[in-house]
Amino acid sequence: MSLYVNLQNEAEAASGNSVPVAGDTVLQFQESTFSSGQATGKMTGNNRPGTSDANFTTPLAGGANSGPEGGHPAARGSMFSINYYRPYFDVDTVDVLGRIKDSFIPISGDFVEKNAANPDLYGPFWICTTLIFVTAALGNFATFLSFKPTAAEPKWHYDINKVSYGSAIFYGYIGVIPLLLFFVMKYYRAAIGLVQLWCLYGYSLAVFIPITFLCVIPIELARWGVVAAACLLSTLFLALNIRGHILHTTENWYLVVLAVVALHLALGLVLKLYFFTYFSFSL
Amino acid sequence: MYGSMMTSNKALLDSRDDIDEIDQLFSASVQPAIPIQQLPPSRPKSPPKVPQVPPVPAGLFSTPAPPVPVSTNPNGASSSSSVPPAAPSASGFGSAPVHSTLTEPVWHTLRRDILRVASNVWTVVFPCFSGAQPGKALRDWDLWGPLFFIIFLALTLSSSASHNKSVVFAVVFAVLSSGAVVLTLNVILLGGKIIFFQSLSVLGYCLFPLDAGALVCLGWSNKLFRSVVVLVSLAWSSWSAYPFLSSAVPPARKALAVYPVFLLYVAVGFLVLAND
Repeated sequence: MSLYVNLQNEAEAASGNSVPVAGDTVLQFQESTFSSGQATGKMTGNNRPGTSDANFTTPLAGGANSGPEGGHPAARGSMFSINYYRPYFDVDTVDVLGRIKDSFIPISGDFVEKNAANPDLYGPFWICTTLIFVTAALGNFATFLSFKPTAAEPKWHYDINKVSYGSAIFYGYIGVIPLLLFFVMKYYRAAIGLVQLWCLYGYSLAVFIPITFLCVIPIELARWGVVAAACLLSTLFLALNIRGHILHTTENWYLVVLAVVALHLALGLVLKLYFFTYFSFSL
Repeated sequence: MYGSMMTSNKALLDSRDDIDEIDQLFSASVQPAIPIQQLPPSRPKSPPKVPQVPPVPAGLFSTPAPPVPVSTNPNGASSSSSVPPAAPSASGFGSAPVHSTLTEPVWHTLRRDILRVASNVWTVVFPCFSGAQPGKALRDWDLWGPLFFIIFLALTLSSSASHNKSVVFAVVFAVLSSGAVVLTLNVILLGGKIIFFQSLSVLGYCLFPLDAGALVCLGWSNKLFRSVVVLVSLAWSSWSAYPFLSSAVPPARKALAVYPVFLLYVAVGFLVLAND
């Protein structure tokens, strides 16, 4: 059922049709502001899973809401204009906080479905940036706490390279891996869009931020335990969501999920080993 | 003598072009007794004299160059003096001088810019004293102030670092400058209505408290004292940036716009604190 239909007209025109109108209230929808020439693609709701238009995001099967794009992508301007990216930042504070909360508790693999109509890039980018800053700062703080002056190094100094390497690692991971996964998913004709994958991966990193605060504790076992717990949560979140999309489209879905899990665990390992390992002899 | 030359220059602006004007300045300074009107009116406008013109002002105005770069401007928005004399009323941003700024002494140009930077700092960072409405956009914005503050902060942090001085400078400069751009884009993408360069300007001026904090921390190495100084300067920076940004976005997204600013200032504050 298209949303841009004046229900009252329909009720008047079609005599005896069973258009459900609740009680005496007449549901009246706004007239569509788009010309008929633009009602292509997503607006018709005829999208079969696996087909995607020139735009990055595809609505999932049965999704009638055309999403924030609201029309032909060309109406939004070229790829090099700010307007093109505005729909991907169409979130309020409560939305972002709700999504972060969802990523902390990965019991059901429906994060992508819940946010399919409005995937945002604000969360991934700023969670990534926060993570870079937090790991660099707290990694240096951890070395400060465990510093013992030796002959070679009488004073503690901070390592600025943590910032640059950290940004390469995290931005690279969040930027490239969803792209590769997108190509793999398209190969297997799974219905998921690139921006939705970026959104998913970005929010999956949110769990790592609190645990970097806990990683300052100078007990190695505690650090490993905390990082392992966070990795588990984050990977579970990712795996459940990816599995939900690829499960029915191919035989080899477990290979894809396994690759995703392995890469994510590798990221957690790098995070622990590079940022929170200190080379001292005691404890 | 110089004052009389300036007033007669204004009178001649209509009839002569700038090259003639400079020639007369030069010749009048060499032969002070000849009044300007007695010079032959139909001087040939000789193109070969054009290449000589640039060295002449440089020889006349031989003040030592201050650290602020006058000739290059990476941000593309310069004060009126470094724009070639395409129009007599050179277009500054905000207030435009009504006379040609080509013939004024370099000190006047610099003083105008310094005063503008000072007044902008006063407006942005001390809104309670200056009586400016917090949240009102900076009217007379410029980019010299932000450039100076970013470079100063990067230099301070780099000079007090013991390892990787050049990397520290590069990282701080890149983080601050690209951070300002990214923060502005963030506000624009969230649906805020701001002017790009004006926002860059405000975010740059809000670095002033951190600059002051970094300068103070250069002198003392007591960690507790530095923590207090860094906390105070970072709170001050965020407090001065907050009204501008929060008034630009719809209220449901205020935290989304303000949080990244806070993140940037905390990151820089951490660097100031961690310096030894």
